[in-house]
Amino acid sequence: MKEYKLIFTGRMGAGKTTAIAAISEIPPVQTDVTNNDRPAHAKATTTVALDYGEVTLPHGDKLRLYGTPGQSRFDFMWKILSEGALGVIVLIDNSAPDPLADMREYLDAFRDIVSSSRAIVGVGRCDTHPVPGIDSFCEAAKEMALSVPVMSVDVRRREDVLLMLEVLFHQIEAAEADEALS
Amino acid sequence: MNTIADKDYAAEAAVCQRHVDSLVATHTGIRGAVIATTDGFEIAAHVDSSVSVAKLAAMVSSLSALSEAVSRESKIGSSRDLMIDAESGRLLLVDASTGARKRVLAVLCDNRETLGQALWAVRSCREAILRELEGH
Repeated sequence: MKEYKLIFTGRMGAGKTTAIAAISEIPPVQTDVTNNDRPAHAKATTTVALDYGEVTLPHGDKLRLYGTPGQSRFDFMWKILSEGALGVIVLIDNSAPDPLADMREYLDAFRDIVSSSRAIVGVGRCDTHPVPGIDSFCEAAKEMALSVPVMSVDVRRREDVLLMLEVLFHQIEAAEADEALS
Repeated sequence: MNTIADKDYAAEAAVCQRHVDSLVATHTGIRGAVIATTDGFEIAAHVDSSVSVAKLAAMVSSLSALSEAVSRESKIGSSRDLMIDAESGRLLLVDASTGARKRVLAVLCDNRETLGQALWAVRSCREAILRELEGH
C-alpha cells in the first residue's frame, strides 16, 4: 500500500477545512481557533496550523490530506506542510475581492509543486459570483507560465471534491509519464 | 505587523505589556516574552530585535493549536503547557485566556534559567496577568 500526501491551500474562507471534512474517512484533525481579524474575514474561526484527513483509494492506496492556514502570516506552515507533497489543490473563493490575485499568490507560493504539473485550481461560489470566469483563471495561470487545470467546485459536495482529486491524479500521472520519457 | 486594531485590546495590551516587561526585567535567564492571540496576532512583546515578533506570534498560535489537537487526539484532555527544549534555551508556552479572550504566553529562556525556575516564573506571570484582566 502506498501513501500520498496532498495539500489543500487557498486564502482564509476558501473552503479548505470544508473540502477535507467532505471526503475524509476519519474525523478530520482541525486546529481552528477564534478569528480576531473580522475586518479581513467575517468567519468566526480560522485554521492556524493544519487540517488533516484521510481517504483510501479503490486499490487500497491512501491519501493523506493536509489543509494549510490561509493567511500569509502562517506561510512557515505552507513550507512545512508542502515537504514531500505529491500535489496541491488551490481553492479560490470567487466572492473574494480579487480571486485572480488570490490564485496567483498561492500558485506562486507552491510554485515548486505547481510547475511540475501536480496542481489543480478549484474555484468556489461560482453560482453566486460567476465573474471572473474559469477562462480568466486559466489565462492568469498561463501568464505565469503555468499549466494548471481550473474547475468550478462546491467544496461542501463530496463528489465535487473527489472529482477534483481525480483530475489532479490524471495530471500527476501525465506529469510522471512525461518525466519518464525525458 | 500582525496586530489587532481593536479598542478593547488597547487596555488589555497595556496590562500584558507591563507584565512581560517585568518578567524579562526580573529574570536574567529569560530572554523575551510574547503574548499572542490564539490566531496569531501580537498583543504584547518584549524581545530583542533579532526576533520577529509577528512571526513568533503566528508560530506560537500554530504550536498552541497543534498541542491542543494532539492532546485531543491522544485523549489526554485539554492542553496546558508546551515546552520546546533547544540547544541553547527553551521556549515555554502557556495558556493565558480569560473567558472568550484566548491568548498564549510564550517565554524564551536561555540555559541560565533552570526548567523549574522558568516554569515558576512563567506561571506566576500568567497568574498576575489573569488576576488583573479578570479584575477589569
